[in-house]
Amino acid sequence: MLTRRTFLTASSAAFATRLFAAPKDARTPNPELEKLGAVALAEAKKHKATYADVRIVRINDQRIGLRLSPERGTGKTLSVPNVSEDSSFGFGVRVIVDGAWGFASSPLVTPAEIARVTGEAVIIAKANATIQPKPVQLAAVKAYRDRWETPHQRDPFAVPMAEKLELLRRVSEEAKKGPKVFSSAATLSLRGEDKYFASSEGSSIQQLILQIYGNVDATAVDRENNISRTRTYTPTQASAGWEYVPEMNLEENAQRIREEVVEHLTAPPVKPGKKDLLLMPNHLMLTIHESVAHPTELDRALGYEANYAGTSYITPDKIGKRIASEHCTFIGDRTSPRALGTVGYDDEGVKASQWTIIDKGIFKSYQTTREQAHFIGEKESHGCSQADSWATVPFQRMPNVWLQAGPRETTLESLIGGIEDGVLIDGRGSYSIDQQRYNIQFGGDAFWEIKGGKKRGMISRVSYQSRTPDFWQACDGTAGPAYWRQFGTTGDAKGEPTQINSISHGCSPTRFRGINVILTD
Amino acid sequence: MLTREEAQKLAQKVIGLSTFPECQVTVNASEQAYTRFANNGITTASLNLRHTVAIAVSREGRSGIMTVNDLDDASLKAAVKKAEELAAIAPVNPERLPALGPQEFPKVSDFDERTAAARSPEMIPHVKTIIDLALKQKQIAAGLIERSHRVSAIANKAGLFGFHHSADSQLTTTIRMADGSSSGWAGQPSTKLSEIDSARLGATASEKCARWKNPQKLEPGNYTVVLEATAAADLVRLMAGAFNARNTEEGRTFLSKRGGGTLLGEKLFPEFVTLRCDPFDSRQPSSPWTGDLLPTRAITWIDKGVIANLSYDRYWAGKTGKPATPSAGGFGGGGGGFGGGAQTPLTMEGSGETLEQLIAGVERGLLVTHFWYIRGVNPQTLQQTGLTRDGLFLIENGKITTPVMNFRFLESPVRLLKNTKKLGQAIRVRGLEGGMMICPSLVATDFPLPSISDAI
Repeated sequence: MLTRRTFLTASSAAFATRLFAAPKDARTPNPELEKLGAVALAEAKKHKATYADVRIVRINDQRIGLRLSPERGTGKTLSVPNVSEDSSFGFGVRVIVDGAWGFASSPLVTPAEIARVTGEAVIIAKANATIQPKPVQLAAVKAYRDRWETPHQRDPFAVPMAEKLELLRRVSEEAKKGPKVFSSAATLSLRGEDKYFASSEGSSIQQLILQIYGNVDATAVDRENNISRTRTYTPTQASAGWEYVPEMNLEENAQRIREEVVEHLTAPPVKPGKKDLLLMPNHLMLTIHESVAHPTELDRALGYEANYAGTSYITPDKIGKRIASEHCTFIGDRTSPRALGTVGYDDEGVKASQWTIIDKGIFKSYQTTREQAHFIGEKESHGCSQADSWATVPFQRMPNVWLQAGPRETTLESLIGGIEDGVLIDGRGSYSIDQQRYNIQFGGDAFWEIKGGKKRGMISRVSYQSRTPDFWQACDGTAGPAYWRQFGTTGDAKGEPTQINSISHGCSPTRFRGINVILTD
Repeated sequence: MLTREEAQKLAQKVIGLSTFPECQVTVNASEQAYTRFANNGITTASLNLRHTVAIAVSREGRSGIMTVNDLDDASLKAAVKKAEELAAIAPVNPERLPALGPQEFPKVSDFDERTAAARSPEMIPHVKTIIDLALKQKQIAAGLIERSHRVSAIANKAGLFGFHHSADSQLTTTIRMADGSSSGWAGQPSTKLSEIDSARLGATASEKCARWKNPQKLEPGNYTVVLEATAAADLVRLMAGAFNARNTEEGRTFLSKRGGGTLLGEKLFPEFVTLRCDPFDSRQPSSPWTGDLLPTRAITWIDKGVIANLSYDRYWAGKTGKPATPSAGGFGGGGGGFGGGAQTPLTMEGSGETLEQLIAGVERGLLVTHFWYIRGVNPQTLQQTGLTRDGLFLIENGKITTPVMNFRFLESPVRLLKNTKKLGQAIRVRGLEGGMMICPSLVATDFPLPSISDAI
């Protein structure tokens, strides 16, 4: 219980800064962190825990936004800023006692509190053990003593706020230019996660994960016909330093979306029916996320998410069987440069790796944690355990999952050239999928008609519906490595209580034959 | 947990550290205990403590916000300094309004001490009840039981102070056949853990699972539907954001009138549709203050089918000469303030009819347990898509006759309420994807179900 006294004497920000700071090029964790971690491990051992781990975590977020919209009555453009920062510091302890898990956490990072909270986790584990059908069994893992950081040259949090605000001013003004755009908004968000992990199996790992997200949108309104449309440019959300920001090309794309939102406002509605689809990477990434990455989570397939996120149509008996066309090779990955799911180690101390989930359409392997590996006869975890905070329990979360590029000679133009009647879809729109990941419906941010092998004008009100296995069987080509791009998603929800995950999905523009395109409102 | 006096002292300490003319402090603390189960065993259980202090400062229209969970003097001082540094460099916010002075916040009673303090010993027996039932039926249970205790305090340099604490709990369970051939769901949120009826919930989910086995394929199309209260709320609650006056006047909601203006005062729905917010209903947690830190109050959005109110934050109220109102949800605070994120959940009034009576009145239709993965397709018309889940049944001549394979729907809650023919009893519900409200079950015609889902 958080007492009045402990609430008012919580740990200090300066202490957190000292804990996670380190000499440049340090290869091992800060000894002070190791000392705190040892308190939990010793306490757990005293209570006869057969396993224990502790995570001490600090998360910093910075969010900056500018909205440009007309003042009521005068029509004058007002620029409305929003500048905020969050910082959160605490720890969580996980134990196995009598074959059952227990977890407890606290924002007060002191040796005494770590010992007390470890005792709480033990109490919870003992209570759980009373109705635990089988003891938890963990796959073996090597012990590591290491330090890992997102590769970066310039710490984004150290960049002056004025530089960030000036960038957003230029971007939002570019998007709002001219009388046809009603409003625009530009945002920039930074995230820094310092985390320390220690386990009773000998690991001691300190990591720093940095992420940058940007966005610009433009909204146009047709009052006569009661239509409003927003066009959004979301550059690749990346694990990177500030040196990545110029590569986002926010200003250049602000101009493009300003023009496209006006065209979208008057674009004719799609004629529904079976059509070929050409899906761009910033759109297909979400289809991959929902229809490939989620159904290949082993906890889903085995019923552990039945009460919320659901189960999966990809059941273990499908290992070795065809579930997509030969053009589809999907890789599970926690190592790709700049991808949001890239780390040195997962939250169980498993070293990041890369493995094949689907090979030329044949299902090969699930995403796993240490607890799950033996469920399907595997000896090692794929390193997919993650918690979204010090206060939450690590469990199986998806890694980066990407679609391998096609042959070098396949180009965007050659894919479009092979379409008689189709739609090119760019960006994220509405997305929905059932609890076993069969029935999908996806919209987009912008749509272009393809007729006679050529990209024509914009169209509107497009969504497509399909059955996942049929959809991936209908894939008949993906462009070569020169077109391959990865995009991130930052709000992936799973688990109860719900936790959020950030990951990236990469692909090239990809073609699908004969998909059911519907007309929406 | 933090008392009123301690919260006030903490807030005043932070305010005293600020050199800016305006400083607003929001203190939030929570303690959450839960037990999660699947495959007839416990998978996770946890006790989480969290707290944050959000410091919002402003000078000459320039504002900055810093949120921290480090509460010692040195950390708080550093956080105030950081907020002031952010504000110093931020552009002037032309929509910024002066801070409010002291307010008389009403008493909102939704706190149950026993719920706030419950731990594993109070929760595990509920889990055991459900797992034992599933084992007896050769079924597999998964679910979650949780309780939370939240404290919230708000204070500013102009003398405003408010304190509120609340407790809430819920139990949800999905029971499936061992071979994956069927699934049934039941759930109950309650501000009192003692009112959670695990035996009833387990029996409902188990019976649904047994009854839904081997669902039959029906042709996609438009159907009359009986939406159980959770299913109805899954859609109706998505209307909340559309009552925003600014978005409506700017032509961006279903309440915008073609060519300009709003549909305020127009009758859009049947006589029996009344939608409101009542922060004094102890069945669901609420807040004594609005997103703009004004005293909360009850407000009706749809009164007997007529659009009765739009929501005005302080900034838009000032621009339009209207009084500021609470929001219907979906947004917190206005452009002019720092906001407090407070919302009151919606209530749709029901009738005295039971679900069984609603079913008895349907010649041919579908009974929907609840929906899943609901996403907006068109923000203006509020068209949504999503899927039925965990029990879909054909009703013929007033009786449930056949389990039916799941469908995807494509519909707006606006059209749903326009096509609603009857309402049942209103109860508090909470959808799978969050969002809670008090909502009745309902019967509606012409509900579009354009494609089949193979999911069980």
